[in-house]
Formats: sequence, C-alpha cells, structure tokens
Amino acid sequence: MEAQENKPKQGYTSGIKPIWCPGCGDFGVQAALLKAFTALGLDRSKIVIVSGIGCSSSMPHPFSTYGIHSLHGRLIPVATGAKLANHELTVIGTGGDGDGYGIGGGHLVHAARRNINITYVIMNNETYGLTTGQTSPTALMGHKTKSTPFGSIESPINPMALAISSGATYVARGFSGDPMQLAELVKNGISHKGFSLIDVFSPCVTFNHDNTYDWFRSRVYKLESENHDPSNLEKALGKAFEDSTTDYKRIPTGLFYKVDRPTYEDLDIALKDGPLAKQPLPTKAQLSEIMAENA
Amino acid sequence: MTSVNVRIAGANGDGVESSGAMLVKVAAKNGMHAFAYRGFQSIIRGGHVWNQVRISDEKLYSHGDGIDILVALNQDSVRNQQSHLNKNAAIIYDPSKINVEGVRSDVKLIKIPLLDIAVQVSGDPIMRNVVAIGAVLKMIGINIDVFNEIVKDMFTRKGEKVVNDNIKAAVTGYNYSGVEKLFEIHGDSKKRYYLDGNTALAIGAYASGCKFYAAYPMTPASGILHWFAAHENKGVLYKQTEDELAAINMTIGAASTGVRSMCGTSGGGFSLMVEALGMAGMLEVPIVVVNSQRTGPSTGLPTKTEQGDLLFVMHASQGEFPRIVIAPGSVEESFTLTSEAFNLADRYQCPVIILMDLYISEHVETIDGFDFDKVIIDRGKIAEKSDGRFKRYLFTEDGVSPRAFPGTPGMEFVAPSDEHDEYGDLVSDALSGIDEYVEVRVKMQNKRMRKIDTMLKNESVFVPKVENEKADYFFVTFGSTVGPVKEAIQILNKSGSNFGLIQFDYIMPLNAGKTEQILANKKLIDVECNFTGQLAHVIKANTGIDINNRILKYDGEAFTGKEIADKAASIIANSK
Repeated sequence: MEAQENKPKQGYTSGIKPIWCPGCGDFGVQAALLKAFTALGLDRSKIVIVSGIGCSSSMPHPFSTYGIHSLHGRLIPVATGAKLANHELTVIGTGGDGDGYGIGGGHLVHAARRNINITYVIMNNETYGLTTGQTSPTALMGHKTKSTPFGSIESPINPMALAISSGATYVARGFSGDPMQLAELVKNGISHKGFSLIDVFSPCVTFNHDNTYDWFRSRVYKLESENHDPSNLEKALGKAFEDSTTDYKRIPTGLFYKVDRPTYEDLDIALKDGPLAKQPLPTKAQLSEIMAENA
Repeated sequence: MTSVNVRIAGANGDGVESSGAMLVKVAAKNGMHAFAYRGFQSIIRGGHVWNQVRISDEKLYSHGDGIDILVALNQDSVRNQQSHLNKNAAIIYDPSKINVEGVRSDVKLIKIPLLDIAVQVSGDPIMRNVVAIGAVLKMIGINIDVFNEIVKDMFTRKGEKVVNDNIKAAVTGYNYSGVEKLFEIHGDSKKRYYLDGNTALAIGAYASGCKFYAAYPMTPASGILHWFAAHENKGVLYKQTEDELAAINMTIGAASTGVRSMCGTSGGGFSLMVEALGMAGMLEVPIVVVNSQRTGPSTGLPTKTEQGDLLFVMHASQGEFPRIVIAPGSVEESFTLTSEAFNLADRYQCPVIILMDLYISEHVETIDGFDFDKVIIDRGKIAEKSDGRFKRYLFTEDGVSPRAFPGTPGMEFVAPSDEHDEYGDLVSDALSGIDEYVEVRVKMQNKRMRKIDTMLKNESVFVPKVENEKADYFFVTFGSTVGPVKEAIQILNKSGSNFGLIQFDYIMPLNAGKTEQILANKKLIDVECNFTGQLAHVIKANTGIDINNRILKYDGEAFTGKEIADKAASIIANSK
C-alpha cells in the first residue's frame, strides 16, 4: 500500500492502492462498494468501513471514508460498537472467509440474531491468502493446500444457511466475476434495515487453483432467473444447500433471504432519544436520583 | 470506636443476603457506619453462605475480625462459624432445628423459635430470618421503628401484606423474651448512602459521561453490568456480548465514535481481551477496562478475592504501548478514580485499566456521598478541521495527536492496527523494510511512547500517596488491601506504635524518581493479597528498593486489620 502525500480526495476514493494481486477478486468488491456508495449518494463522512485482518481487510484504505482496520476476526464487534454508539453512521464490515467464518465465526451468529443494521461483505476465496495458502473454513472437502497436503477432511461452512438460521435479515451471495449483480446486492444490503450478510466468491488467483473464475462461471446461476422468492424461509434454506447437495454442480447467487424485523437499535431503550454520541451528560438532578437509589 | 460484627449464616435461599442488606440500611438511616462482606459460593441453592455486617459509630475500613452475633439459620452455620466467634459472642438460633452442643461456654445462646414465629405471623417460613433480624436490632440497641421505615421502602411495591408480615416478624423477634441489649452503638444524625465498589465505579463512570458499557457476565465484575443494564433508560447503553473478545472490541468501536466507553470483567475475561487491549494502544483509542480480580489461577475460586493480576494487566498484550493502571483503595476511590480514568484515557488516547477485586467490588459500605462538583470532564485533544488530508496520527511533541470522530466531514481517516504513518496509511505489508518506512515506524513508535513522558510530566498522580509522613514504619499496599491496612494502623498506633501508609493508587506509569524519594530510608512492610508480592516487584523494578518484609495472603479471604497488625508486630519483634 502506498502512502499518499496530501492528495485531495475525489468522491469516495483515497487513491491508495490495496495490496491485492493482479486479478484478485477483491477488486470487484471494491468496485461494487464504490458503485453502491455512489448510487445511494451516501455522505462519505458518515460511512465507517470496518475490516479485520487478511488480504481483503485492506478494503478501508482505498476509500476516503472513515475506516477501522481492526483485528483478525473482530471486525463484527468493532463495527457493532461503532453502530451502537452512533447509529446514524453507515457501518460496513469487510473481511475474508477466515476472518468471518473461522476466527470470528462466533461473532457472526450473534450479529445476525441481534439484527444490528450493519452490512457485512465477506470476500470468500476458500483459502488463507495473506498467510500464503492454507485451508479455510469454506474450503471444499479434498481441497489441497499447504496445511492440507492430503486434502481437506472437514466439511465446509455453509455461509448462507448459517446466516439465515442465525437470524440475519438480508442474506445474499455474489461473485466478483459479475460486478453488476454484486453492486446491486451490496447497494440493497446497505439500504436494508438490519443485519445483511453478502458472501462474495472472490477468487484467489495465487493460492487457490481449484476454485477459479472459470470454476465458478461454469457453476453459478442467478436465483432471480428461477424466480426465487427471498421472503420464503424454507425455500431460502433449500437454496442455501443446493451447492453441496448437487456436489457443487449448481451454485446459486443473488438474494437468498430477506425479511423485515426490528433492528437492535430500534429496540434498545438506551437509543430512544437518538445516538449515544449525541446524548448529553447526566444532569445534577439525574445524579441525585442515582444516588437516592443507594440511600 | 465501638463496633459490632453480625454474621448471618445459612444456605443459599435462606435470606442471608437480604438480612444483611436490611442491617446495612438500618445502620445507614440511623447515623451509623456499616461495612458488609459476604462469603458465598458458586451454587445457586444450598451450600453454606454468610453475610457479615459490621456496624460502628465511626468510619470502618474492613469487615472486621470475628463474630459478635451469629445468626445461625442452619446446622452448618454453627459448625462452620463457631471458630470465628469472639469472646462472649451470642448465637441466635432456632432450637427446634439446630443443636448447639459443644459450643464454647462463654457464648450466649439466644434461643428463638424462628420458624414457628415466621409461620405464625405470616404463614411463610421464609420470614424466619426477619424474626432473627428483629432480635439483632434489640441486641445492638437500635429502635425497631427505623426498621419499619426500611421495610416500607423495600417492600411497598410487593404489597401491604409483605410489609406488615415483615414488620410483625421483626417486632416479635425484637420483643422475644430473653433478647436483651448487649451492645451500644451511638449514631449521629447523618443519613448515609450504602453501596459497593462496583456501584461506586459505575456511578463514577456515569457522572463522567460514560455512555457505553460492554461485558460478558463474570464474578466479581457483574455488579457493574447489572448497574448499567438497570440504567439503560437513563442515557447509558449496556451491551451483553457473546464473549469478552466482543466486549472490548465493541468498546473500541464505540469509543472510536467519540463516546466514552468501558468494558469490565475478571481475570479470565481479561485474558480474552488482551489482543484488543494492544489494538486500543495502536489505534490510540481511549477506553477504560475494568478487571475485578478473583482468586486464580484459571477458574480458581470464583467467589473469593485476590490481587494476583497486577503484573498481568501491566504487561498484557504483545509489543509496547502506553497504558495506565489504576487501583482504587476504597468505595469512594472507586468513584473518584474511575471518573478520572476517563479523563486520562481521553488526554493520552490509550487504554486505562481499573484494577478492582472481589473485596472492593462486592463489599457494601456506608459513605457520606460523592462530590459530583469535583467531576471534571476533559476530552483531550479533538481536531475541529483539517487543512488538506487529516493526519490522525500527527507527530507531536507530547505524542498526543488530535482525534476526529466519524460523522465529521473532511476528517476521514482509517485507524489501523497495522503500523502506519501520520495519515493512518499502512507502513506494513508492501512497505515494511523499506528505508523511509522503517524511519516512519520508529518515529511513530516514539510518538506513541512519548505519551508516557507527557503523562509523567503533566500529571501529579503517578506517585504513591503517603499518610502519616513521620511514621516509624510504613505499610506499602494497593487496592482493596488499603482498607484493612488502615485499620491495622489504627490498632497498632493505639497501642503506642507509629505506623503510616504508602498507597499505590496510580500504579502505571510510575514516576520512578519521585517514588524512590518517597520510599527511600523508610522502614517498609509490603502487604498484598497474592503469593509473590507483585507490587513489591513493581517497586523494585522502578526504584531498586527491595521490600523484604512482606505480609502476603492468598487463601481467598480478604485481610482483616487485626491480622495485619499482629503480623506486623511480629515482624518488628523479630527484627529487633
């Protein structure tokens, strides 16, 4: 990443180059985010992009928004804290499959059940890139890596089923090879009030020679082409398992599931008078009231 | 000073906790001082628990030694507590339930059919503890009318019957034949507050504008979360998290937006927070982290006290970054030091750790009140605008760079846990090892670490506090042990010795030069609730002064004043 000297910023971009290899799927996600911000006309000073650690977690840097490049696996709680403290901000999580489904998997299910209004874009390349190619929680059975030279013997995480069953209210899957669809999914995810998970097939051109652009292209199809009804929970779950049940011959992309449910911020009594960041200090009367509880 | 120690003992579910609470309230309303501490277990029903309430005509610093009145609600209470009975102590017990054979002959046996009376007056056997409390009030010379007021306060919301049953039960115990006044405590006319260290800490945070608290339940820190959760309708947000990793990371996220934020836990949870503690140091985000210690290692004794985490919190997380470690020594200091913790965090943009422990977190005592006028709020350096691209990590002489909060136009930046330049752009990954970025790394680390020099230069607090300058001997201690040490000093000085106190309240960073001056040429005795004498280690590392006289305890119980006084007396006798 190159440090830029005092360059004026244009729109949503900072001019900083991410660390990605040429051809990396993450460029497609960067483009989709940019398109979504532009289409929604968001105020860049009110956007916070929170990432974890990994190749994809350098996502905040090319943007001229606020960002927190946090710890491996912890982007969800950092993003949650920022959103709870100031829910007028648009908070977007960006990270990889190891970050989201491995080390940070515990946070994912809780963010989903809380239905906190965050959009989480997971760049899923089925591998650990920045650590030079080990197996990942989404690697398919038999996939050979430096850490699984005899092939992976663990069943992969099913991100769509996990998110739906945990209570996420917008669950979608995109593919870096289809930037138009991806930008639309990201845009709608940001607009959706509630926890949105967008899993993106974002091929690693350096370390994953099984799950390549071509591999995905010959397998993915769009849910909307089959008139999938994203409000139907049962059908959504059925579609979530279509990849593994067809031995990955048919992999659906698009919006799997969407439902409206009050967000955490809607329900938390502490936020009824607006964002915490804008609430005043306690008054003398309030302090006396508090002390009276102990007398 | 006159004090009486009442210990109510029974099984969980016998009303031991509420009996203690009633006594504390009576004392607080009656112009007396109270100090309550409980022995409890990780069991929800059954087991053996006690609540000891010490009541006095003067300010108390510890739960005291021995028992003057034992309310024994089951047989175990007599068996487990009789060795703690002071000379001429009394036991209140129900002869139909409890056998007192073998109890020392100096002990007064106050037989009251607690169960029968409870059933008679209310139809509910659970009231038997209230009958006993009525008797205790008579024995310590407190007018029953005060109790009636308290019952109304406590139970009016549960209905008139509950209020009346409580009053009837207490009055019957008060007037029961054979129950006589044994102690005389003179209160003044002052009504006092009663609260524990966790509540004082929470109120200190609240008063200083803390609006966000995240935690995963863990004894003995849970009292703080209970306070924040109960006040979510008063301008604070409590977030119960899936684990302590989430708690501290949410706190960092919230603090990044400019909201004063805190998380709290005990040692086990703190262990999970360690990685993010370093991130707060790297992002230069002000957060306050509470570690209320309990007996370790590992799960240890979850309901017992210890001060075994001092060195741990001072050194936790990889790499080097500025941090502040504070250890309140009383309920009052749990308030004042917490409100100051937020100023220090904001001024130096670093994590501040408040080191509590079970004894200070969970004991309830009466206090005169808090001085809210003295709570000053200083948010430190905040950038209003930027010419050109905002340098969040601007190189400054004092090491502190002005912050900006998301939502402020024109100040956008990325806060990275990777090493970075003044803008927050990474100098890791593709740039590490390249000469000009090696230089940036060094300058940035110097900038961060310079904040320690600034703290020591600008703040006067990073030296120990001395009481009784002219003493012959000084106890050196920190945290909850300060209280029992103060009581030990009272005991020793009353018998002609001249002891003083050196209290380490702001422990890290430490002004080594001034600390050395304070400690030099003094006769020192180190008192700590741990095995290795961790504070003594810190003192030696900073000043070279070795404190060889140490009174250490790690059995899970808090020190008592007498215990420290006796040990100090024998140290001095042996050194002569």
